Amino acid sequence: MSFSYIARRAAQKERVRILYRRALKDTLNWAVHRHLFYQDASDLREKFEANRHVEDLDTIDRMIADAEATYNNFRHPDPYIVPWAPGGSKFTRNPTPPAGIEIIYNYGREDND
Amino acid sequence: MALRAAILRHIRVPVQTAALDRSRSQAWSLCNSVRSMSSHDDHLEKEEVTERVLDVVKSFPKVDPSKVTPDVHFQKDLGLDSLDTVEIVMALEEEFKLEIPDLEADKIVSCPLAIEYIANHPMAG
Repeated sequence: MSFSYIARRAAQKERVRILYRRALKDTLNWAVHRHLFYQDASDLREKFEANRHVEDLDTIDRMIADAEATYNNFRHPDPYIVPWAPGGSKFTRNPTPPAGIEIIYNYGREDND
Repeated sequence: MALRAAILRHIRVPVQTAALDRSRSQAWSLCNSVRSMSSHDDHLEKEEVTERVLDVVKSFPKVDPSKVTPDVHFQKDLGLDSLDTVEIVMALEEEFKLEIPDLEADKIVSCPLAIEYIANHPMAG
């Protein structure tokens, strides 16, 4: 139980948490309906739980790398992004002007026709 | 190098400027209370955030609702594991329509941290 063992273990745990988080979000992106997502999320969790008790550090590293490769392979091409976040539909868009302000498109030429 | 990164990732430095910022923002709030050109000025009150966070945590299937208080730690007090924590944080993101970066979401491990993060988030809705 050296210090480097603990540090490496902590780094691995963090990698798994972030991988699980990304995979879970991606599952939601792929699921067309909410009730389909629940089953998919449960399957995803089972895949992680299956390797819960693996002890060997190198095996764990290899499995994480494999899982990350699988995740990258099956990423959603058009994921849901919260509107204001970078890449979202409202990102850097201007808010609507306040009520009472209107745009006059033919300003100065109202009487011409 | 990996060791150094792992240690740095787990060290937290308390932010001292929060109280200072709050007093300043209150001074400004008189003229800033209505930002007519802003599309997201309905800031959440801390009580409302607390209530909604607790609702989300209580409705998590593996949690005993009677144990949930505003200062529980997900793993130490509620007996969840790290992947359950990830699921709760994702549920909180959906509840408040947030997009939390992965590394920040990874640090949210207890109710007080979640409440503080969401209450201070300008886009929480």
